[in-house]
Amino acid sequence: MKHEDTGCHAHDEVTCQRLILDYLLAYEDGTMPQEERAAFRRHVEMCPPCVEFLSTYEATGRTLKLLKPRDIPPDLAKAVLSFVRSRCGEKE
Amino acid sequence: MEAAETPTPSDLELVQAIKTGDERAFEQMVDRYHARVYSLSFGVLRNAEDAEEATQDTFLQLYRKIGTFDESRKFFSWFYRVALNSAYSRARKRPSAPTVAIEDYLPRFSSDGHLASVDLRDWSVAIEDEAAARELASRAEEFIAELSPAYRDVIWMYDVEEMPADQIAEILEISIPAFKSRLHRARLYVRQRLAEIAGSAPRQKAAG
Repeated sequence: MKHEDTGCHAHDEVTCQRLILDYLLAYEDGTMPQEERAAFRRHVEMCPPCVEFLSTYEATGRTLKLLKPRDIPPDLAKAVLSFVRSRCGEKE
Repeated sequence: MEAAETPTPSDLELVQAIKTGDERAFEQMVDRYHARVYSLSFGVLRNAEDAEEATQDTFLQLYRKIGTFDESRKFFSWFYRVALNSAYSRARKRPSAPTVAIEDYLPRFSSDGHLASVDLRDWSVAIEDEAAARELASRAEEFIAELSPAYRDVIWMYDVEEMPADQIAEILEISIPAFKSRLHRARLYVRQRLAEIAGSAPRQKAAG
């Protein structure tokens, strides 16, 4: 039966809440048992809001990957060595 | 006959050499880890100058404390802990920025477990455009900075630094389930904030 407010057609075997809060990370990292994966997929097939949620959750991960590589200041290694030697009273 | 290449020394071999006063080994350690320490520091401090100084502090600590390192432990987890402490020590010298209550941004559900917010649009297509994706990434970095350290360290180290889960849990001295819980909540927070700017999601800040 369609949930009138959300458009979710899934039965209550796995609710949106359990799917998002309890199962999603295990599904993503591949640690979810096969039987639970099947229940997860059955819910998603019947629930457009969860499809949308999963798609934007995955997009969040892809977006964060863009933060690398960070520009490393040129000569940072040299500056580190110079700093350490100056603090430890050694000649360069 | 060609001379065999000198094998790359392991972290432990470098540590042992540094303990004997081998300056070249310390240089190799700096070469090996300075970029990662800088990036980790930047995740905490979000400022290039501070991150550079925290990186210097970290290697100074390494140089001074290497004698106390217990060689039965993994070097990386000890050293990353030193790096995080250096970054947070520097962060404490600055006016502290307010952190968010992550619960205010987690998804809402009806009493029967259905998603309560249905007026989200699927903004994931937006990141197919490179410029838009980079803009969102830049905003995501700001959102991560709003998190408390418990969440910020986990999402930065895993999703940005791409460090293995077991290493992060070891460095932060937390269990794998605790790591996963923090990572998931941090991602849900960043997802919600990105949805607010990239999609049509209403702000989800709790009343009061």
